[in-house]
Amino acid sequence: MKVFPDDLLYNREHTWVRVEGELATIGITDYAQENLGEILAVELPEVDSYVERDEPFGTIESAKGVFELISPVSGEVISVNEDILDDIGIINSDPHDTGWMIVIGMKDLEELDDLLDSREYHDFVLKEAEGG
Amino acid sequence: MIWRFIPYKRLNAFENMATDEALFRENQLRGAKPILRFYSWSPPSISLGYFQETSKEVDIEECRRCHIDIVRRPTGGKAVLHEHDLTYAVIAKDNNPLFPPDILGTYRVISGCIADALSELGIKTEMSVDGRTSGQDSLKAACFSSPSQYELLVNKRKICGSAQVRSRGVFLQHGSILLDFDPVKNCALLLPQHGNRGRQIENLRKSVTSIYEHIGTEFSVDKICHVLQRSFEKKLGIELVEGGLTMEEEILMIQLMKDKYTSDKWNIEGKGTLYGS
Repeated sequence: MKVFPDDLLYNREHTWVRVEGELATIGITDYAQENLGEILAVELPEVDSYVERDEPFGTIESAKGVFELISPVSGEVISVNEDILDDIGIINSDPHDTGWMIVIGMKDLEELDDLLDSREYHDFVLKEAEGG
Repeated sequence: MIWRFIPYKRLNAFENMATDEALFRENQLRGAKPILRFYSWSPPSISLGYFQETSKEVDIEECRRCHIDIVRRPTGGKAVLHEHDLTYAVIAKDNNPLFPPDILGTYRVISGCIADALSELGIKTEMSVDGRTSGQDSLKAACFSSPSQYELLVNKRKICGSAQVRSRGVFLQHGSILLDFDPVKNCALLLPQHGNRGRQIENLRKSVTSIYEHIGTEFSVDKICHVLQRSFEKKLGIELVEGGLTMEEEILMIQLMKDKYTSDKWNIEGKGTLYGS
């Protein structure tokens, strides 16, 4: 089973958040990218648009299907990783770092309380992989 | 385990996709029972994968001339001409114990149900295990030219193609089972940037097959649906109970039809796509 970085928070839809003040950088987890297989296309929101927690902020396609990206927090999109649009392979090769997707200016920091830490997320995916 | 069964209907492309998405969204919100639905497309239509660029994949002018509707699916995959096919849709929680946790497992299980039904009709199929690579780049826009893993083949020729979307713990998988196949028409409509048209037609003919090619038109669509229905019940150990759309699903379906599936912005441009955004 994979190791998930301690400095990230996770939701049950397999996105991670790196928090710096009120900024939340968001991407998909290594577990998610491995499960999806080779990623073929991604659609991300525009800067200045607003995303809601637990709502789709983007869509990703792999050879296995289309998957909606569910936002772990609410807020305004501050930036979008243009590097992904040039080289989509970095989502597969470096999902927790250079494969980040968007940065959000968070609206409500208390939303972070509902997210999982690395240990909790590890247990969650272990259970999911076992079909639990 | 009881599933809802929505019996076969012929609807237009926009109603079909709006219905599938409404069932998918409402299942996310309200956690309804799993659903199996059968339908076909009237008038004939082309459905595109979520991320496909319409002008590159489809000859839009030729479609208009032939009165073929174009719709973008909420699922991935490639373009499909729906003229002589039967489409199924399955909507269920992705942790449903009938389906393995890995995504491909869902394809495998559903393909198994369809394979049993085709076998009962007298057609022996095999599942593509690694995804056959046709090596025919010029054909790659068309769904039936290249099977993915666990799609159904008859003597290495594809007879059923499927696509999937997942979100918030629910998956929608729909797929097209070919009753008949016209490689000339498929080439004319789906391959606008054609090279050697004659060779493309021949390649499609070699890589795609249909129910009628093997057993003729002996069985009606209703009969085929009935065999499929029984096969899903037997293979999955479920009971299919006939039902329609709930009021909430109906309202959402109409809204999706109006705002999304009849709009060129979604179908042709593929923008403004996120429902609820």
